[in-house]
Amino acid sequence: MMRKAGEIILLLLLPFVMTHADGTHYRMPGKPTLTSCRSPEKETFTCWWEPGPDWGLRTTYALYYRKENSEMVYECPDYRTAGANSCYFNKNDTSIWVNYNITVVATNSAGSTFSDSVDIDVVYIVQPNPPERVTATILEDKGWPFLRVSWEPPHKADTRSGWITLFYQIRVKLEGESEWEMHYAGQQKTFNIYSLRSGGTYLVQVNCKPDHGFWSDWSSTSYVKVPEYYTRERSVWLLIALFSAFIFLILIWLIHMNIRSLKHCILPPVPGPKIKGFDRHLLKNGKCDEVFSTLVVSDFPPTMSSNYEDLLVEYLEVYIPEEHELMLEESKDLHDGFLKSEGSASDSDSGRGSCDSHTLLMDKCGEVKEKQTDQEGGRMGTEAHTQQADWDESHEDMVSPDMSSGRVKTWPSVFSPLPQYSPSPLHHPNTLETAWQQQQHYLSDTLLPADSLSSDLSQAGHNIKDTPSSNYWKFCLSNKRPHLLQTDARWHLQAHSDVNISNISHKEAPACTYLSSLRSTEYVEVQRVNEEDRVLLHPVSSERHDGKDCLQLCHGEDYSKVKGVDIDNVLLLHREVMEEEVDMCLCDNQETNGATESCYTTITPQKPTSCIQAQAMSGYVDTATMFAQPSH
Amino acid sequence: MQKVWFTVLILVYLDFSVRVGTVPVCAYGPAGCKVPSLADLFERVIQQSSRMHGMSSDLHSEFEQSLSPNKNLIGKRRCHTYAIRTPDDKENAQRLGREQLTEVILKLLEAWNDPLSHLYWSLSQDQNQDFSYYSPSKALEITDMVQELRDGVEKMAQKMKLEGVTGNTVGSISPESLVPSFAVSFYKRGGLDSVDHHDLLYCFRRDSNKVKNYLHILKCTTLPGLVC
Repeated sequence: MMRKAGEIILLLLLPFVMTHADGTHYRMPGKPTLTSCRSPEKETFTCWWEPGPDWGLRTTYALYYRKENSEMVYECPDYRTAGANSCYFNKNDTSIWVNYNITVVATNSAGSTFSDSVDIDVVYIVQPNPPERVTATILEDKGWPFLRVSWEPPHKADTRSGWITLFYQIRVKLEGESEWEMHYAGQQKTFNIYSLRSGGTYLVQVNCKPDHGFWSDWSSTSYVKVPEYYTRERSVWLLIALFSAFIFLILIWLIHMNIRSLKHCILPPVPGPKIKGFDRHLLKNGKCDEVFSTLVVSDFPPTMSSNYEDLLVEYLEVYIPEEHELMLEESKDLHDGFLKSEGSASDSDSGRGSCDSHTLLMDKCGEVKEKQTDQEGGRMGTEAHTQQADWDESHEDMVSPDMSSGRVKTWPSVFSPLPQYSPSPLHHPNTLETAWQQQQHYLSDTLLPADSLSSDLSQAGHNIKDTPSSNYWKFCLSNKRPHLLQTDARWHLQAHSDVNISNISHKEAPACTYLSSLRSTEYVEVQRVNEEDRVLLHPVSSERHDGKDCLQLCHGEDYSKVKGVDIDNVLLLHREVMEEEVDMCLCDNQETNGATESCYTTITPQKPTSCIQAQAMSGYVDTATMFAQPSH
Repeated sequence: MQKVWFTVLILVYLDFSVRVGTVPVCAYGPAGCKVPSLADLFERVIQQSSRMHGMSSDLHSEFEQSLSPNKNLIGKRRCHTYAIRTPDDKENAQRLGREQLTEVILKLLEAWNDPLSHLYWSLSQDQNQDFSYYSPSKALEITDMVQELRDGVEKMAQKMKLEGVTGNTVGSISPESLVPSFAVSFYKRGGLDSVDHHDLLYCFRRDSNKVKNYLHILKCTTLPGLVC
């Protein structure tokens, strides 16, 4: 009974005991795996495996190999040399060009587990050790440093006998950089690296590989420091910098020397106001009165009480009709013109000089108008000055008939009363106008104060500008009209040379001053021709005009009419005519008109009794000669 | 008819008379042309063997990729040159001596002449196209290379003999003495399948490596001044 109970208890406890005896679950070891087999010198090799899970059980590993074409299975001769889970095959056990079939077996109490077999040929699993004794030195090549790296093959690898052929590789980098610079060195055991950075520290490493195999690990790092040196680039840059600095300095100096001209060139000065007599500083100071005082011309506007119309006396119209009919016409025209002029407030002349004239002068009118410019007027004014100056110089020669060369006494052709203005009228005898001017000058100068005359003339010259036909001077012989009126433009004889100006006095001359109303200084009036066939001129002054005298003058020999110019350039004058001739000035007096008419009428039958021969000298007629040879 | 005979006779006569005599180049020594030195010969030979090995490796890798991963066959492979006793480690190779080593090289090279031709013929005939298009041409090239290498090694051996490096023990190796028809019979007659191609190439790759290594050893032991 007791035995049976004990057996039952044992039976019950058996499985329990059994389980406890096994510890955990009964399990086979995990499958190991061969990780790699390597040979460092193609003479020995080592295999490593990775054990599988052992489930806590004590597992043993065994490596078995089988050689090619042999059924013999051998176990690993050496488990220790290469460390744990490794198998080391020494030289005796290693055969090259033989196929090894290797298997690892893990065994535990439960059983054994075989790993996958691996076939290896030692030739193709060679991985040498890194090269040894790597040295890096700095050497110099023509002054420039370079890095020389030298090394030795791993001592185990027998390259001497030619058993192994190794190929090397170098990598270099600067201290602090992250990228390596690779260089393949082939089978040589030295290598040169150029283009180093001055002052830098380089790291050098070498590794190797057999002709068929794996690359070794990198050797230990070698440090090398490159000494300081100046590269060619740096020196070149230095030279360039110095040179450019030098050039820059020179430029600065040049600019400094020529700063003014440069300023003038780049920033041209803005022209400021240049007003004569204008003081900007005064303006700045704020004293306007003083500033403008200098600008004020004392004599402008002209303070002389002169009528505007007086200023219009500028015209010197010379008209020499060739035929009586023309004269008559002219006289009529003059008369008409005179009448006309009376009515008009504007400048009314015979019209011969203007475009309104229906005489021959009209042809020239267009030319005249075109030429009429301010310049002419101005020039005339200046001319007056110059001529006066000339005259002044030759004042003593006044009496002598031979004036200075170029002094025109008369003019050959009156029908070109609009002389073309020439820049040098003194030397251009054809210029009628200039002749007139000269006459004007001479006569006026003697009769009146020179300065006033000149000024008048100049003003007359200026005034001429205002008038359209300002090419010629008009003798205004009328005192009635204050403005310049030209009555008779037929003949104005200016024989200044023979004129005994001294004899002429204001008082002697009849009071009739046709020009009286005008600026008398601008006009010279022919008083008469004396016995000696001299034309007496009478200066016309504003104060001396006398209306009554007009008649007298009308009757007086104010003019010596030029009958004409014959072939020899002889000026033919009517002496008698002059006596009876009524002045062609614009007398708005009926009597004068009648006298004029009568004069005219008397004129016509008259024959030229006095012929003044004019010796035309380059266009100018020398009246002196004419008077000297009275024709009659 | 007579004219025909006459013409034939003339042609035959011309053929005999105009026959060009062949004289080997550089037959009359250094005065004729320059003979390369032993070092040069070694260099050339080694380069050639290296190239040969490279090509064999390429071919083999091509076949290995196309082949199903049936590695069990490798263990059972047997190269036809297994009869040739070759040193399988450094000591044995050094122990062998120059002359024998040269002999071994020559044997090996000679043993592979026919199989490679067969391989080429087989590859060109194969309709399966389980290898690259260029494999037949490569096989042909390898065949030529083996031939050239063998000639070069022979010349090198003669040179060595001339310079007294090696003894006169190395006799002319008759290719038929070793593996006359063994190689061809070793493999299947007729068409080789892809497995046979793979085995063949595997064996050839190994043997070319042997040759290359033996040549290196020869060079470094015969001319130590060179880079070894």
